[in-house]
Amino acid sequence: MIELKQISKSFGKNQVLQSIDLTVEKGEVVVILGPSGSGKTTLLRCINYLEKPDNGQIRIGDFKLDFKTAGKKDIHNLRQRSAMVFQHYNLFKHKTALENVMEGLLIVQKLPKDEARRRSTQMLEKVGLAAKLDAYPSELSGGQQQRVGIARALALNPEVILFDEPTSALDPELVGEVLDVIRKIAGEGITMIVVTHEMGFARDVANHVVFMDGGVIVEEGKPSELFGKPKEERTKQFLKRIAPEPSYSI
Amino acid sequence: MGRKFDIHYLLDFLPKLLSYLHITLFIVAASILLGLVVGFIIALPRLYKIPVLQRASQVYVSFFRGTPILIQLFLIYYGLPELLKLVHIDVSRANVLVFVILAYALHSGAFISEAIRAAVNGVDRGQVEAAYAIGMSGYQAFTRIVLPQALAISIPILANLVIGNLKDTSLAFTLGAMEMTGKSQTLASATQHFIETYIALSLIYFVISTILERTFHYLERRLLRHEKQVAEPAVRYGKRRLWKRTLITRLEKGG
Ligand SMILES: Nc1ncnc2c1ncn2[C@@H]1O[C@H](COP(=O)(O)OP(=O)(O)OP(=O)(O)O)[C@@H](O)[C@H]1O
Ligand SMILES: [Mg+2]
Repeated sequence: MIELKQISKSFGKNQVLQSIDLTVEKGEVVVILGPSGSGKTTLLRCINYLEKPDNGQIRIGDFKLDFKTAGKKDIHNLRQRSAMVFQHYNLFKHKTALENVMEGLLIVQKLPKDEARRRSTQMLEKVGLAAKLDAYPSELSGGQQQRVGIARALALNPEVILFDEPTSALDPELVGEVLDVIRKIAGEGITMIVVTHEMGFARDVANHVVFMDGGVIVEEGKPSELFGKPKEERTKQFLKRIAPEPSYSI
Repeated sequence: MGRKFDIHYLLDFLPKLLSYLHITLFIVAASILLGLVVGFIIALPRLYKIPVLQRASQVYVSFFRGTPILIQLFLIYYGLPELLKLVHIDVSRANVLVFVILAYALHSGAFISEAIRAAVNGVDRGQVEAAYAIGMSGYQAFTRIVLPQALAISIPILANLVIGNLKDTSLAFTLGAMEMTGKSQTLASATQHFIETYIALSLIYFVISTILERTFHYLERRLLRHEKQVAEPAVRYGKRRLWKRTLITRLEKGG
């Protein structure tokens, strides 16, 4: 289980997160929605300490941390419990697909080399890239790169995987293959927090949907509730804007 | 001035000058290696934005970029012994090469620090974040992810620096250092065959520069093998893109 309590973050005078509370059950897929600038990325980055919150506590499983007093060791511990899939993939450019996945296993988890290789190969097979082990990122399509990114996160066996708009940098025809992979691993019971604008995906895969605006959680609930009968005016407007009811049929 | 051109002298001078090549190359190698150390030390405060030291590195770089290398040579050759005298260290018997290498090391260090800075800033920020996200420490992220990529980016600049350094070392003769150019001076004045001497000398510099250039080019291609490089034009394109990226990051940082 993951528990965020009173997470606040400002950039200068701009308060981007205002005392966010969020609980994610083990094995749950939580989708975060919200307009641009609402703080979705910042929230994910705080969970992984890529951004330092000004305030707040986090609990992942039996590990607890107060951001105000966190030291180097705590940060390292926190990062070992979560993994991040980036919007722009952020694969290590000078390493092959296999080396990208192995890197964390070798350097951070200190697995022996053949064990790391075995595990990494397995993960790349899982995301459908068994044939691309030795390809450099520049030799892969966006969709393939993002699947390596997912394999890299999976391999670390984290308690939660954070996805920040994993498909929004992709050409439309490549979105499907990445969503399929995420769907597949969601089915395996891995806890995930996903920021996305893919409403279809959110409806199908999410167990819980969170709508953020202006640095606060405006509304959250089951997908059927939030999409079906949103309570808050801001949620209604956002959903209308992002996925207008089809006024014509194909 | 001088005697009539005679090709035999040229052929005669070539091996004589070549027998001093190792001294020239030693100056280059030693000063570049030292310069790399100096460059790192100078670059770090600016990369990590350490308040006062950052300013000091800036001044250092400006000084070595803004004054002629010949003057820097003189300053170190004549000035350093005086400075050391104040703390009762006598270096009047030290080999002139020590001063020459030191001067070129300090000089290259300034330029190398700029190259390091540009290259490190040229590495995509997302690379470091991905490294942190998988749990690497700052040191691991720097040495395993940033440095190899920065090195690849900086190879062309480094190549220019090394070749520039090779040519600059010819000025060491002004302090009486017996490297290739120094030797050419004695040969020329002893025989009065100036043209032959300098043709022989320039041939040697030219060949060495070309070898260095080729070596660096090869190195660059190896280090950038992860960039798309199916054919030569693709390499060109890749390089330009890297440069553009470096430039853009530098502009964004206002540096
Ligand atoms: N490093 C930073 N420095 C200053 N301001 C920042 C920084 N990162 C984000 N912000 C600001 O924080 C606010 C929230 O940004 P964030 O990226 O979290 O939004 P988002 O919900 O992910 O938006 P999008 O849908 O466009 O990705 C924005 O106003 C942004 O300008
Ligand atoms: Mg975002």
